[in-house]
Amino acid sequence: MDKLERLMNLTAAMLETVRPLSADELRERVPGYPDDKASFRRAFERDKEDLRELGIPISLAPVEGTDPPIEGYLIRKEEYYLDDPGLETDELAALNLAQSAVQLEGVEGIDAIAKLGGVVGPGLDPEATGLASLRADPALVPLFGAVLERRTVRFAYRAREGAEERTVDPYRLDYQGGHWYLSGHDRGRDGERHFRLDRVVGEVTAGPPGGFDRPATEVPGVPRAGWQLGAGEPVVARLLVDADQARWAAQHLGADAVAERRADGSVEFDVVVTNWPAFRSFVLSFLEHAELLAPDDMRAELVSWLQALAGERAPR
Amino acid sequence: MSRISATDRLRRVLAVVPWIVAQPDGAPIDEVCARFGVSREALLADLETVFMVGLYPYTPDALIDVTIEDDRVWIRLADYFARPLRLSHGEALALVATGKGLSDAPGADPDGPLARGLAKVARTSGVDPDSAVDVDLGEAAPTLLESLQRAVADRSSVDLDYYSFGRDEVTQRRVDPWRVYAMQGHWYLDGFCHLSGEERVFRVDRIREATITDVHFDPPDDLADVGGPVFRPRPDDPRVVLELAPSARWVVEQYPIEASTDVDGGWLRVTLVVASSGWLERLLLRLGPDARVLDAPDGLETAAVAAAQRVLGRYK
Repeated sequence: MDKLERLMNLTAAMLETVRPLSADELRERVPGYPDDKASFRRAFERDKEDLRELGIPISLAPVEGTDPPIEGYLIRKEEYYLDDPGLETDELAALNLAQSAVQLEGVEGIDAIAKLGGVVGPGLDPEATGLASLRADPALVPLFGAVLERRTVRFAYRAREGAEERTVDPYRLDYQGGHWYLSGHDRGRDGERHFRLDRVVGEVTAGPPGGFDRPATEVPGVPRAGWQLGAGEPVVARLLVDADQARWAAQHLGADAVAERRADGSVEFDVVVTNWPAFRSFVLSFLEHAELLAPDDMRAELVSWLQALAGERAPR
Repeated sequence: MSRISATDRLRRVLAVVPWIVAQPDGAPIDEVCARFGVSREALLADLETVFMVGLYPYTPDALIDVTIEDDRVWIRLADYFARPLRLSHGEALALVATGKGLSDAPGADPDGPLARGLAKVARTSGVDPDSAVDVDLGEAAPTLLESLQRAVADRSSVDLDYYSFGRDEVTQRRVDPWRVYAMQGHWYLDGFCHLSGEERVFRVDRIREATITDVHFDPPDDLADVGGPVFRPRPDDPRVVLELAPSARWVVEQYPIEASTDVDGGWLRVTLVVASSGWLERLLLRLGPDARVLDAPDGLETAAVAAAQRVLGRYK
């Protein structure tokens, strides 16, 4: 007998029952299982595994009137069926196109499109194909599920040396500068923190759904700039960038940061900094085409950093 | 007979059956094949199996009814498979993340079909797309990105004012633009550079100006490795050997490392390909006391000292 047929009959039997069915009941109702008890058990376990892998939610519940209680199986309709999003054809076509243009590495978006009604419209647009590809860290999908279902998560997070266990209420995910970040409430440190997903080591353990309340106000995403990722007191730094590099700097710092445009085309920027080492790296990426004007203590620190490198003074 | 596994067939059938059920006038077989990317032969084999599926005790009224007539197919008595399986977390994420990446890209229509479709999908999967996930493919001026994309589509050569980060200079050059894409947080333009006489990759945020010319070009037939590595080391590129402090391990995440060994005190000895002298100068200035240079190409042994002295010149 065709295995597809058995899997479909098994799914239908568990979907259309009002009470949990024991393994023996399922064996009676679903043709195609071996007669031998041990072989049946093995085949049945494998089938359940296959269905779960497809995302079919099989629930366990005690069969009524059994003593000692026997566990039975059923699929709850509200957990199985997709709520029809009611997509218009042009909307489905646009989602199709997005799937072909932007690939999330290792995650099959095409299966989602099939559930929504399949490929319509031009489908793969060769002009748009491969427009972008996003990395997908192993922790990404589990953390996304935890954000959706408000599950508190635990994971090991790579620290300067080794890894630290973190317990986090996950609020949101951001893809920024080629990396995925999780923003959430770190229970151990009792504060909002950002985590880079490629520094999550090993498995993410998720607690039960509804494990926390999201903040009432919208959660801001991870700051675009590394120098705003720190927990330090915000300091406004004044940076002068030469004319040739000013446009590039403006793109990174944002038009709001422009404080003064000089006659020679160079530009002064005011930048809010909470992470000084990250900002020092940014300033140094301009080599001699930029100068940190203020504040004085940052400027002095930068000078002694450079002097140590230039051999003008012993390292700190 | 198709050679794919029973679970892959089940995944397909659970998406195809609901769509056919929803077509009261029957579904044209060709359209089913096109929508779900399945061959006619495989579809007919699936339908033959579906015909055997039903509920205990499998009397005719309890079996799914499949009718094929005039190249159309009807499916009846399949209430339990009338709606697709809900999206898995990975599938929902693929839709939302890739859709967000495009709908937030420079020049996208915020009220277009993609944005509308995305909002509908997000609602049914319980995500508020604005508060749970955000995707930033990279910084680029919208008008610049649009004109580059137009030049690719029209096969028009462009004249670029380009800031070469590695060589730290602005150059003018003519480029035949082959493709524009986002990768690892940046937008890139790939094409034939008339200045260097070979294929080059340009960062869009470092293009200061792009003028579309009325010169047309023929792109190569084979653009297979779209979004391939931007920096492709060649065997004869110079190498540098560094020792990195534990706090400088980010270098390993960010650049391709050719060899690495642990040394005393948690330091790491690594061999890196030197992309350009400007690249090495910036890296060493950023690392400061966290890096020791063990071996450098000729002329670059004192790259950090020379660069630090040049930058210091601005602070005298």
